[in-house]
Amino acid sequence: MERHDRKLGLLSAMPLGLILVLSFLAPLVVVAVFSVMPAKVFTLAHMPDFSAYGVFFERGYYKSLLWSLAMALIATLALFLVCWPLAFGMAKVFGRFTLVLTVAVVMSLFVSENIRLFGWVLTLMKGGLFEGYFRSLTGIGFDSPLYNTGIIIFGLVYVYLPFMLFPLAQGISMVPDDTRQAAADLGASRWQILCQVELPLAAPGIMVGSLLTFVLAAGALAESKILGGQAVIVIADDIETAFTFGQNWPLGAALSMVLIVIIGGLALFGVSRIDLDAIMGRKR
Amino acid sequence: MTVTRRRFLAGTAATAAGLMVAGRMSPARAARNDQMNILCWEGYNSDGVLGPFRAANSGVTVRAESGTSDPDMINKLRAGETSVWDLINVNQPWARDQLYPEGLIKPLSKERFLPYFDKMLPEFAAPYPLAFADDGNLLGMPQRYGPFSFVVNTDKISRETAEDQGWNLFLDPAMKGRYGVLTYDNWNVIHMCLTAGLNPFAAIEGENLSKFRDTAMGIFGGAKLLTDDLVAMNTALINGEIDAYFTGGTYTASPARYDGADNVRAITPNSGPVDGKGGCVWVELTSAVNNPDPSSVAEDFLEFVQTPEIAKAVAFTEGTYNPVSQMGNPDVLAQFDSEELNAIQMDSLAEEMARSLDYDVVTSYDALIDIYTEARRT
Repeated sequence: MERHDRKLGLLSAMPLGLILVLSFLAPLVVVAVFSVMPAKVFTLAHMPDFSAYGVFFERGYYKSLLWSLAMALIATLALFLVCWPLAFGMAKVFGRFTLVLTVAVVMSLFVSENIRLFGWVLTLMKGGLFEGYFRSLTGIGFDSPLYNTGIIIFGLVYVYLPFMLFPLAQGISMVPDDTRQAAADLGASRWQILCQVELPLAAPGIMVGSLLTFVLAAGALAESKILGGQAVIVIADDIETAFTFGQNWPLGAALSMVLIVIIGGLALFGVSRIDLDAIMGRKR
Repeated sequence: MTVTRRRFLAGTAATAAGLMVAGRMSPARAARNDQMNILCWEGYNSDGVLGPFRAANSGVTVRAESGTSDPDMINKLRAGETSVWDLINVNQPWARDQLYPEGLIKPLSKERFLPYFDKMLPEFAAPYPLAFADDGNLLGMPQRYGPFSFVVNTDKISRETAEDQGWNLFLDPAMKGRYGVLTYDNWNVIHMCLTAGLNPFAAIEGENLSKFRDTAMGIFGGAKLLTDDLVAMNTALINGEIDAYFTGGTYTASPARYDGADNVRAITPNSGPVDGKGGCVWVELTSAVNNPDPSSVAEDFLEFVQTPEIAKAVAFTEGTYNPVSQMGNPDVLAQFDSEELNAIQMDSLAEEMARSLDYDVVTSYDALIDIYTEARRT
C-alpha cells in the first residue's frame, strides 16, 4: 500500500507536471525548429536547410556575440570585485545595518531598469547633472562619458549588482568564523585565509552570483541602447533586428539558439560544479 | 489519508470536468459586433480618440494596443493574432508589401470610403495611389503622415545650408562625431541609398551595392551616438551633444518644437537622386484585419476618425505630433492653433512634401538590410 501511495502521488502530479514541462519546452522547441528553416519564412512547414547558421559566420554576427560575452565577462569580474567587500560586510560585520543595505538595494529593483538607466543619462549627459553644474560653477565644460563601451559595462555592473551581491553574501555567511580563526591561529596570513579558506568555502555563492550576472549581462540590451548609444551592437540587438526590421525569423531564431546553447552549457557546467543544496540551507 | 485507486480516478475525473467547464467559459465566438480591437501606432489608443468612440458606441468593448514598430505589429498578425484584431495601423509599404499579399488584411469598401478622399489635402485627394493595392483594391485609409529625412539644430546649422547640402551634410568630414543616427533601420536603409545617390525603390545591384556599403560604413563611422529613442536623440540635439541626426522628420522633431525648442527642425533636402527629389515621406494606412470573425464596428471606427475633432486628436496625441491628410478640410485645419501648426512645421509642409518621395517598398531590402546591419556592427 505504501509503495502504491508513492506511485499515486507521482501519477497525480503528472498532468500538471506535463503542462509545466510542455510550456517550458514548447517555445524553445519552436525557436529551435525555426532556426533550421530557410530564410524569411513564417511557418514551420518547410524543408530545413540550416542556412541561418551559415549567415551567423558569413555576416559577422559572431562579432556581436563576442562583444556580448566579453562585456558580460568583464562586468561579472568587476561585480565580483565590487561586491566581495560589501557582501563580506553584510554577512559578517555590519550587523543590523545589513538590513538597511538589503532594503536599499532591493528598493532599486522596484524601479524599471530603463528608467534607472535614463536617470544615468540625465546625470552624465552634456548639460546634465554633473557637466551642467560643473560648467555653470567653473565655466569649464567637458564631454560626457556616454556612448562608448566603458559606459555599457558600467551600466551592466550597476543594473546587475543585486544579482551578485546577495548570492555572494549568502556564500560568505557559509564560511564558519571558527574555521577562519583556526586558520589564523595556525599562522595563516590574511591572504592565505582569503584564498584557502574563504574563497573555497564561499564558492557556491560565488558561482551562483557569477552565473546569474553573466547570463543576464550576456543577453542585456538596454545598457547598450540607452547608455552606450549602440557604440557596440550586442547580440540581443541583432536578434531583435532579425525578428523585426529584418523580418527574418529563422535568422533571429538561429542567433537565439547560439546564445541559448552557449549560456545554457555554461550554466549547466557551473551548476554541476557546486553543491546547490548547501547554499539553499538544506543538509549536505 | 491514503489514496485509493478509486479516489484517484474520481479526482482525475473531477479535474477533467473542471477543465471542460473552464474551456466553455472562454469568450463566445459569435456576435463580435459588441467589440472592436485595434493594433496601432500611438494615438489611436489615446483617450482623446477612444473616449468619444466608446461614448458613441455604448455596449461595444473597444480595445487598442500601440506598437513601437511596424514589424512588431505585423509579427503579431503573422503569429496568428488575426483572430484578435479588427484594424491595424502601419506605414503603407508594410501594408502593401507584407500584409495584403499574405492575406493578413482585406480590402475596404470603396463605396463607403472613397468619398472621404475628396476632403483631404491635395496630395491625398487624387485619391492617394499608395492606399491601393496593385489589383486596385483599397487597402486602408491614410491619416497621419510626415516628411522624414533628417533633423538639425538650426542654431548650429542653418535651415538653408542643411536643405542645400542635403544628405551630403553627413559625408562632410567636419561633421564627424557631430551627429547621431536614429536607428529606425528600414528608414536608414532608404536614406543611406539617397545619400549614396541611389534610388532606394529600384533594384540595387553590383557596384551600387558597394556604394551603399561605403556610405553605410561612413555614416555609422562618423556617428557620435546611435539610438532608437527619439526623445534621447532630441535631448542630445538640444544640449549640444550633437548638431544633427540622420533619419528624422516632423514626427521626431515635433515634440521638441512643441516644447519650445524651435531650433530643432526637420529638413527635407532641396535636391536628390530620384527625379531631383531627396526627401521621403511616410503615410500611415489604417486597414481592416482579415479576421475570420470580423467586427462590423471596425469600419464605423474608420469613419469616426475622419471627423474634425477626432482627426485633430489623432494628430496631436501624447508623444508625437503629426499632420493629418484630413487637414485639407477647413473644419479640421481650424482645430489647430498657431503653436501646434508651428510644431508640425506647417509653414513648409507643402513644399517639403513636393520635394519628397513616397515611402515605398525597397526592392533590394533583403540585400541592403544585411549590409546595413553588418556596417552597424563595425
